[in-house]
Amino acid sequence: MTKIKNQIFSSYQRNPSLYDEIYDNDGNVKDVYKKLFDLYGEHSIDDYASLNVKARSSFFNQGITFQVYSKKKSQEKIFPFDLFPRIIDPKEWEFIERGAIQRSKALNLFLWDIYHEKKIIKQGLVPMELISSSGNYLHQMMGVDPPGDIYNHISGIDIIKHNDGNYYVLEDNIRCPSEVSYVICNRTALKRALFGVFNHYQTHTVTDYAENLLELLETTKPHGVDIPVCVVITPGMYNSAYYEHSYLAKTMGVELVEGRDLFVENDFVYMKTIRGPQKVDIIYRRIDDLFIDPLEFRPDSSLGVPGLFAAYKKGNVTIANAPGTGVADDKAVYTYMPEIIKYYLNEEPILNNVHTYHCSRPDELKYVLDNIHQLVIKPVDEAGGYGISIGNRLTKEEIEEVKKQVKSDPRRYVAQPIMSLSVHPTYIAKKESFEQRHVDLRVFTVLGKEKEFVLKGGLTRVALKKGNLIVNSSQGGGSKDTWVLKK
Amino acid sequence: MLARVADNLFWMGRYIERSEHIARYLSVNYFSSLDAPNDLSQSRPFVLRSMLFMVGEPQADKSMDIIEEEVLFNIGLNPESAYSILNNVKNARENANSARDLISTGLYESINKFYHFIINYDPAVLVKNGLHDFTTNVTEMTAVLRGKIRGTLLHNEAYAIIMMGVNIERATQIIRMINAKYRDALEAQGSYGDKFSNSFEWTTLLKCAESYDMMRRLYKKPPNSISTLEFLILNPNCPRSIMNSLNQVYKHIRDLDTSKHYNKNATAFLVGKVRSEYEYKHIEEIEGDIQNFIEDILSRLVQISTKMEKEYFNY
Repeated sequence: MTKIKNQIFSSYQRNPSLYDEIYDNDGNVKDVYKKLFDLYGEHSIDDYASLNVKARSSFFNQGITFQVYSKKKSQEKIFPFDLFPRIIDPKEWEFIERGAIQRSKALNLFLWDIYHEKKIIKQGLVPMELISSSGNYLHQMMGVDPPGDIYNHISGIDIIKHNDGNYYVLEDNIRCPSEVSYVICNRTALKRALFGVFNHYQTHTVTDYAENLLELLETTKPHGVDIPVCVVITPGMYNSAYYEHSYLAKTMGVELVEGRDLFVENDFVYMKTIRGPQKVDIIYRRIDDLFIDPLEFRPDSSLGVPGLFAAYKKGNVTIANAPGTGVADDKAVYTYMPEIIKYYLNEEPILNNVHTYHCSRPDELKYVLDNIHQLVIKPVDEAGGYGISIGNRLTKEEIEEVKKQVKSDPRRYVAQPIMSLSVHPTYIAKKESFEQRHVDLRVFTVLGKEKEFVLKGGLTRVALKKGNLIVNSSQGGGSKDTWVLKK
Repeated sequence: MLARVADNLFWMGRYIERSEHIARYLSVNYFSSLDAPNDLSQSRPFVLRSMLFMVGEPQADKSMDIIEEEVLFNIGLNPESAYSILNNVKNARENANSARDLISTGLYESINKFYHFIINYDPAVLVKNGLHDFTTNVTEMTAVLRGKIRGTLLHNEAYAIIMMGVNIERATQIIRMINAKYRDALEAQGSYGDKFSNSFEWTTLLKCAESYDMMRRLYKKPPNSISTLEFLILNPNCPRSIMNSLNQVYKHIRDLDTSKHYNKNATAFLVGKVRSEYEYKHIEEIEGDIQNFIEDILSRLVQISTKMEKEYFNY
């Protein structure tokens, strides 16, 4: 353990076995962080603590909160936010950006293929049962041509830095990836609290997400529409991501609708306004596939719009992301990403995949069962960090329990070596000091027709519990502002 | 604009306005009774009953024992009573929430702060010695909200709808106050030196409507029944008068309904009709039959609200 001189970092303990984002192996602050380190060092820990309180109340007053339900009453909480930003230098970012676009494009071509000719399966590169057994595969989408040929308009790719200093992709979230609004909120809060630090860095803006999103969504408008009307559909104000839905609608300048505000007539979609019906052409939906249309999917859904899918099949409305897109962010499909990228784009993957063992293959299953203590076991169809077991954290009894689960349904599980996420100094309010915490990075990509956009920033998520590797907000994670520096 | 969202904005306006009038009614009545000139106006149960009557609590009439702490809690912070200020603010925020993409960040932030102020206010403090602090904060925050509505929103249909809600509610609350104070003045007459026409209650009524100073400025005489009612009902320059509220409602419905031809089924037509009727009333007509007047104007306001619902909020 090395101690570092600097007022607020004086008690920072550096564990040399972890990859620290701001210190190199010899304990020196990396070049890009030097200025920031000095600037923050001018503050006392008390100053910092009071800035932290102010930033929190700013979030609270703006209503950037989520509900926590307990027995007695529901409580409003803010997402934990750290005032010490993460910095990514231009070269590294350029690499991430190219890698993210490459993956999004490959996934889009993959989706087109598996909902049309299934060439990749016929050529034996991806097994059929991988697709057909996925809960997110929608047979209703077979042969449907999405407007603009885009399935995954919006992706949120989760990337980590391993202790070898390289980036690895953990997940391609292409169902309804959320949390982009926190990127912008974090930036706003940091600017309010510590505006001075921005004078010393040339940082890319993150406030242009909504305008780019709208522009790119509009490139995928249905055939024959001149000026498309776009809406955001939300399950309603009690949804935990409602703030984000309203934020996106507001910043795009479009209506935020609920299922009950829309109806379908002659396979066209309309919204009910104070002046009567108005036609809707593009729907950015924040409702899961199975709830979008009670006539086609779950009949008990009151969130969706009856007849929406029929209108979609006729090409009269764009739905982003397209129904059935989830089949490609299945964790088992993930393991074929290198093959998928090579097959459709004829390129080498830019970003690394974490090596993955498929429990559906008998020899790999055997390896997994014998080596659980050094693997992460993940269900293929869960999101939000649920159901993940980290081998070296389990007791003997727990290992047996996991083995039993895996054996009972091998197709449901994959295993990966335990990746060591990099760590970043994070202010821990309880201890009034900075400590190392594991971080990842969610990169937001938008695909349009022959055009794409990557938000220069992304969301650095922090696992606030010491040693914890799961950064999801539903599991007690926080976040950091992320600066991508200009060249 | 979505019909559902329009409905929510209309009610957001109404709930904000309502919480202000209830808060001021509580505070003015309570504090002016402390040194009121006659015994009845000074009696605490009399004042508390008046408060309950104003918010429409059915218990108000019964001659049951009345406990000050309970009344203040029920009207101020009781989550179980529908008319409480707490519930009004909660409803205002819920309505704002569902139109969050449409209103300004500044307006939402102020409503949100208002809500957190109210739900975190300690009921024990309110009923013990916090009444003035609590009600002053409520009336000030509603003023901030009105400022944000006017100063940060686009003056388009959404604005027109919010302002219609605000003004319909204002007229309704002023009428409810007139009704309650008229009743109090009747009850208090005959007490020492106090006649109905120059009852102390008229002063209280004007203060409840925050119109006392301006009324004195205009009439230069102590208020009596006629001058008070004239000022609060018919004076178009008094921002809280019924006449002014109707003028405002008319102005905003014309922003919403720009058709040149009269359609006798339109909300705009009804508003115009009611407004012109009141424009040509004089106070003697009203003063002679105040009870009928109150019922009439309340039912007209309900008609306007219902018609709006049918014409614009039907979803």
